[in-house]
Amino acid sequence: MTGAGGWRLGAGAGAPFCFQLLIGALVAGLLFAAEARRSAETAPQAPILYWTRGVETAAELKRHGIERIAVPPANLAAWRKAGFQVVAMSERELARREKLLMPRIAGRANIASATSRPWIDANGWRFVRKPAGKFYYDLTQNARNHVALAVAEAFAYKADAVLKIDPADLPSLEDAGRMIRFLRELPAANYSPIADIGVLDNGSPAMGEVMNLLTRRNLLFNIVRAPSPNFRVNIKLGTKEYPDTEASDPSEFAQKIRRQVGDENRALRIYGSETVIARLTGDGQSFRLHLLNYSGREIEGLRIRLLRVRADGGNYQAFGYGFFQPDAIVTSEGGLEFSIPKLGSYAVIDGRFAS
Amino acid sequence: MKRRTFVQLLAAAPIASNVNAEEVTPKYRIVTQYKPAAAPGMPGPYPGKVISVKSAKCLSADGLKINDEVVREMMERGMRALTGDAKAVDAWRRFITPDDVVGVKVNVVGRPWVVSSHPLVAEVVRNLMAVGVKPARIYVYDRFQDQLDEVNYGPHLPEGVNYFAAERENQNLDRLNYDPATYVEADLFGEEDTRSNMLKLISRKLTKIINIPNMKDHGATGATGCLKNIAYGGFSNVARTHHKGVSHTYSFVGTLSKVEPLRSRTVLQIMDGLRGVWHGGPGARTLKYVFYPKQIWFGTDPVALDRLLLDVIDDERKRRGAISIWNRDRNTLDFINGKKRDEDPNTNIIIREPGHVEYAGKLGLGVHDIRRIKVEEIEV
Repeated sequence: MTGAGGWRLGAGAGAPFCFQLLIGALVAGLLFAAEARRSAETAPQAPILYWTRGVETAAELKRHGIERIAVPPANLAAWRKAGFQVVAMSERELARREKLLMPRIAGRANIASATSRPWIDANGWRFVRKPAGKFYYDLTQNARNHVALAVAEAFAYKADAVLKIDPADLPSLEDAGRMIRFLRELPAANYSPIADIGVLDNGSPAMGEVMNLLTRRNLLFNIVRAPSPNFRVNIKLGTKEYPDTEASDPSEFAQKIRRQVGDENRALRIYGSETVIARLTGDGQSFRLHLLNYSGREIEGLRIRLLRVRADGGNYQAFGYGFFQPDAIVTSEGGLEFSIPKLGSYAVIDGRFAS
Repeated sequence: MKRRTFVQLLAAAPIASNVNAEEVTPKYRIVTQYKPAAAPGMPGPYPGKVISVKSAKCLSADGLKINDEVVREMMERGMRALTGDAKAVDAWRRFITPDDVVGVKVNVVGRPWVVSSHPLVAEVVRNLMAVGVKPARIYVYDRFQDQLDEVNYGPHLPEGVNYFAAERENQNLDRLNYDPATYVEADLFGEEDTRSNMLKLISRKLTKIINIPNMKDHGATGATGCLKNIAYGGFSNVARTHHKGVSHTYSFVGTLSKVEPLRSRTVLQIMDGLRGVWHGGPGARTLKYVFYPKQIWFGTDPVALDRLLLDVIDDERKRRGAISIWNRDRNTLDFINGKKRDEDPNTNIIIREPGHVEYAGKLGLGVHDIRRIKVEEIEV
């Protein structure tokens, strides 16, 4: 699996740029075609709500736009009859799924004074590590303002995730419904992740934490089975270049990777926040950028830089704000930059790569 | 759209200094479409010249109340001495024309005790209006709205004056009021956001800026005066220069100050030294570390004023038995313990970088050599 960042980087740093593009496009075309076939069955959907209340609450769910739910097996028939897309799931089955963190800012670590580097609880790396994994969010306590982000996070990574919320927590139900409706209205875009880095995952906790930090710093990676020439950097722990000991400080390790890739070569940069995590996907011609804001606060003027994308024809939508026009569009040095006037918990940007 | 940019890469080599041998200057990339004025505001027409106006009467005996009339006289005497003009309004006319859009860069982080004081700011605005600048063309500004609201200049200034803050509060959430095309890019400590953008107010609206810092100790820079007020108060995302007890303020303060159009448009430095902070700055939530220099400095050269300020802060610390702002002993460092720093003047949370003033001098922003700084003292 690879993406535009991969073919761009993999064509050889010493080759003429036009040749890189030609080779890259050929490779990308083949790889994307294969990927499209593989992923046809996994079109992204919003996560499903685990709902234990009876069918008498159907109107309430429908009012919030929620039509897909997981229910205790005993309630299955009644909910189906009420017109819902229903999956039977016992509490035990739910508990067997991997529990996720509540997406949010968790606090500040290693900070002496006011800085902009908070610690974030995010789950993206878990989804990337286990694309066929089954997960659930426990959002039954202190979940207000985190539910919508959880829905968007799972959607952005095409994760099979279930939301467990307190049925009596109507504001959270409303938040979930609003985000689900927003996602449902998005144009279909079943793309593959775009990355600058290949990761050979040995399954270790240390590697997991490295992936966490890579995700946290928007160092886009894909898991690969063997080092791939499509990436400028391939990470394999236990090697001379990446000894296991280095992974004991995943933050510094991620920084090393960042330097090896080079900021100027990264498919995506974000300026104006340390609390936004991006998921970039594409198919060689088009891309979708998911922006997940973990701050719990509205961000104004977030600036995005994307390499080798077109300035025209983009489609910009932000949860809570709808369609918007990007601000201060600039093209320079092979990149497109623009600002997002207001970003709540989630925004999605669709566009096309430069030919 | 394509933009014209003037990109300057500053060399990664350190500027030689016997007190900052550890500093390795980061690689800065300055992006701006603005060219320097023929005669940039910093260091301006009076390099190395500082007017110091002192008055024992400017504060009440307990230091809590400011005497507006005395401040007014101090301001008049200071401006006349700086320019050599007989009338204060003529002195102001050297810097400001009626057509200017004027920014008054206040400092409010030291609220409530050590901020750009109400009567001093009021006197600046009064003189701007005497020159012919309409209130609607005057902007009192700082970065954070909550701080500006707390200090609340409104009741002290004429109706129609604008108050501007770039961000709601110091939470690094608001970037709309910063210019995406004017910034300094540098990777200081591996932060994801490597840009510090200039306020749009500065780049797109103001034609002149009057800088009104205070005399304050600072945990990262040693002292904070003209340079830091104009630099860190004019750009986004500057707290990233401090991390785990280390700071890049040594080079970053001057680098930001030099970015156009900030450098060219900042035409006057008026340092409010009625009250000061000798430890725990830049904040001054209590009177514990407040001292009372009872003076106002005037100049156009921020480096010269700040060079003198380093001594004022360091002398006050010595007088109180506190370690020097030049102390780089890591045994004094407790970088995760702001509370201890607040309780103990011999604790640092960051290795201070008072050498930032010398660095700014070497960037051409003013005179650092104390032998070349001419101070004229006036007693009111």
